[in-house]
Amino acid sequence: MTAPDDVDLDRVWTNVAAEVWRRHPGRIERTAAKLLKSPGLARALLTTPSLLGPWLIGSTLVLAIGALVQLGANQPLVWLIAPAVAAVGIAYAYGPGIDPAWELACSCAVSDRLVLLTRAVAVFAVNAVLGMAASVATLGTAAGAHTAQLTFGWLIPMTAVCTLTLAVAVAVRSAAVGAGAGVAAWIVVVLGRGALDSTASTPGLSPSPSAGTGLAGAVTDPNLYVPYLAVAACCAAVVYYVTRPQRGAQ
Amino acid sequence: MNIELYDVTRRFGRNVAVDGVTLDAGPGVLGLLGPNGAGKTSLLRMLATILPPSSGRLALLGRDPAKPADRREIRRRLGYLPQQLGYYPSFTVVEFVEYFALLKEVPPHLVPKAVAAAVEKVDLGPKARAKLRTLSGGMLRRVGIAQAIVNEPELLLFDEPTAGLDPEQRVAFRALIRDLGQTATVVVSTHLVEDVGAACTEVALMSNGRVVFRGTPEELIARGEAGQGVGDAPLERGYSAILAAARAAS
Repeated sequence: MTAPDDVDLDRVWTNVAAEVWRRHPGRIERTAAKLLKSPGLARALLTTPSLLGPWLIGSTLVLAIGALVQLGANQPLVWLIAPAVAAVGIAYAYGPGIDPAWELACSCAVSDRLVLLTRAVAVFAVNAVLGMAASVATLGTAAGAHTAQLTFGWLIPMTAVCTLTLAVAVAVRSAAVGAGAGVAAWIVVVLGRGALDSTASTPGLSPSPSAGTGLAGAVTDPNLYVPYLAVAACCAAVVYYVTRPQRGAQ
Repeated sequence: MNIELYDVTRRFGRNVAVDGVTLDAGPGVLGLLGPNGAGKTSLLRMLATILPPSSGRLALLGRDPAKPADRREIRRRLGYLPQQLGYYPSFTVVEFVEYFALLKEVPPHLVPKAVAAAVEKVDLGPKARAKLRTLSGGMLRRVGIAQAIVNEPELLLFDEPTAGLDPEQRVAFRALIRDLGQTATVVVSTHLVEDVGAACTEVALMSNGRVVFRGTPEELIARGEAGQGVGDAPLERGYSAILAAARAAS
């Protein structure tokens, strides 16, 4: 049997192939496409390296171990770990060397800046949920004395650490440097605040009466919330500036 | 004219990669020739709107890429294959091409057919559902070409497109770009002068960031016959004669 002469077999085959090869997006991708009003952005979001299965499993394991140690040893690990885990995830969300097709994506209509910000917000949100789950799981331990502060208070320093990480990563175009800077800054704050507590008997250096003690002070001291938010705002401004569409010398 | 460059310069610190290039091009195939470090890739990246010029005026498809709305419209109608194709190893051929169709904002209902047509054009139908990590270098290059043409671009930029292709595939690729050049502006950056002779309607030869020759392949051959070019083929003799003259003049 032969096809009629006026049938374009190539076109017929292309239509068949299109149906056979068609990818059916999952529920999450469809929802993201509706929310973001862009199927391309939704697809870019779901290819975020630090939102893929192995990375999420790793983050969950780190927080779970932190929660177990906290339950066993009454040390405030979850609140200290969560900002660092989120910061590393954000540094590895997008950029040259992280996203294999980054250069190609930069030549596409969906803005690479929008991809970066969408991925960063998504990574932050996922890590916030994971951190809160771990934090809630440790309620009732002795370390949970300031329950509300300890359960939610770390979200504020986490915001500062994450924006600092993102700002450094986009400024120097290196995820490793960004992650290193964020984690290092967080360690300095935690240890510095802890050292301040150890000198509490010295007049003029005593933290506020409502401040936490030891390492948890970096999370529970209300005096630090404004500086955290100020750092987050400054770093967000740096990200906005560095990722602006450029004209002229870089 | 789909490409209009006037006195375009691109600097990286003290190094001048592209030095005052003035160039225009309409539909057809423009071969961009030159030795390593001549500035071909930097020029191509500026045409791909990834890299802004340090100075000079650049218009693509009648629009100014420095303006966000214009840049987005240019990118919708642009196809780009970088020298180093980054890819997601776990994606299939179809998933990868579809990803870039979405990032180029091809209307979602047209995406499956556009993907099927692009995959068929590069003769990757039998490998459509193969993971990218299982493909050879030549096949990956063809995947890169497929993503570049998936949006039926009016401006196509290929950086070393035939690298890794076997002779049979190179012949097929030249036929493809001749076909695309009927309606679109195709810029092909290459070391291989035989690609230029077989597929290009015009040639621009770059040396030290400058365009030192612009003309047809026949005119390039004529320069070789008139000058003191070396090489086995007439185009190679033209190429080397012009480069020798440019080096002597600088």
